[in-house]
Amino acid sequence: MAGWQFIRFQFIFPIILLILFLVDGNLAASLGFLMKEPIHAMPMLTFTWLFYAIQFGVQKEIPYYSYVVIFGVLFDIFYTGILGTYTVAFLLATIVMDRLRPYFDERMMSGLLLLLIGQIVYLLVTFVAGQLIGSANLSILSFVVYLVLPTAAFNLIMAAIFYFPAWSLFQRLV
Amino acid sequence: MRKIFSSRTIVLLMIGFLVVVGLIAGSNWWSKKTNNPPFFQRVVNDLTGGAAKVISIPTNAVGTRANSLANLLNTFSENKALKAKVDGYAQNKVKLQTVEEENQSLKKQLDLKKSLTDYETLSAVTTSRSPTTWNSQLVIDKGAKSGVKKGMAVLGDSGIIGLVTEVNTVNSKVTLISDTSEDTNRIAITVKGGSGDTNGIVTDYDADKKMLVMSSIANSANVNKGDTVVTSGLGGLVPSGLLVGKISEVTSDSYGLSKKIYIEPSSDLSKIATVLVAKSSMES
Repeated sequence: MAGWQFIRFQFIFPIILLILFLVDGNLAASLGFLMKEPIHAMPMLTFTWLFYAIQFGVQKEIPYYSYVVIFGVLFDIFYTGILGTYTVAFLLATIVMDRLRPYFDERMMSGLLLLLIGQIVYLLVTFVAGQLIGSANLSILSFVVYLVLPTAAFNLIMAAIFYFPAWSLFQRLV
Repeated sequence: MRKIFSSRTIVLLMIGFLVVVGLIAGSNWWSKKTNNPPFFQRVVNDLTGGAAKVISIPTNAVGTRANSLANLLNTFSENKALKAKVDGYAQNKVKLQTVEEENQSLKKQLDLKKSLTDYETLSAVTTSRSPTTWNSQLVIDKGAKSGVKKGMAVLGDSGIIGLVTEVNTVNSKVTLISDTSEDTNRIAITVKGGSGDTNGIVTDYDADKKMLVMSSIANSANVNKGDTVVTSGLGGLVPSGLLVGKISEVTSDSYGLSKKIYIEPSSDLSKIATVLVAKSSMES
């Protein structure tokens, strides 16, 4: 890989991460159907971008986990005001996906299954953290039916739509 | 025996766990205690909020189109129902104007300048909504600079949708009434019953039923299904008379000593593109 290309990727990866971080919040506010009671589907495009990096094997080319922590902290500060939860959720879910990646093949469907596992880890961490500070008085059944299922469905569809565009972008940049 | 983790890793994991739990619990406690977030958090919030405002222009446009397309599908039946309602509203509006004028002149006679029902509104645009599991929060584009204060009520298209919980310089965070945290939605409310009012506070939000809960009501209180619930204006910065919702269920607590009511919020929490911040004229 040419030096300038590497530097270019170093910049573009976090910039897209930042844009998606903001788009997540905007989509949650503007797409009314996502959070229409009782359904609570949350856009996780930031997380999907982190997944693409693992799926296409570029996480070793960049300070990947530094970005994960930085955006986790930013997520906590900007969206909740309570520090810790999403930093751990992002970190744990990406570590799990990174470790499991060698057991999956190159097909898109295998990739999406890996993403689903990551999403479940992410949501579980937020559920446990919510129990810890008394934010979560939702039963586990409602949590799965109204939150995990619609969230996973929405984000898997988004990840499938942008899978090949993201793949070609990574190919061009790295 | 093969060790899964080295001793060093175990110690690091334990310390890490304690630090994270401490951070979550500590910052949760701190955000409830203070009126303004710490300086660093405030700067990050202001900067990110500015960027979010720029990003929100195209996404809001897409969102509006998607929502109008969805609305188009049930326009016909909705239009029919609304037409029937409009006539009644015109009459009510005239009545309201007359009563308001009368109220003004009576206040003048009593030399009463401001009362709990007086409030000004400040309109704000929602730049983002937290894409998170709990903590249903909005970020709005008005902050301390526009006079927003922690604890102010925020109104949606039909009634109260939440309270301001964090104020930064140019934006602030609104915690929605659907937030399930223990003490975020303690709003002082009044049940407008057929025979007299009943005062109390919202004690909880039932996330399974999607309804606000008011408990510990005396058994003698006359509260019925269908009664309107409004804010009482007692304590805090929330003015009186903002619509909260309607009673959908009246039950008794587990010992049968008091009543518990479930209130269906009047405003649609999925339509929050623009909101109004109610600035009470009687600040306590």
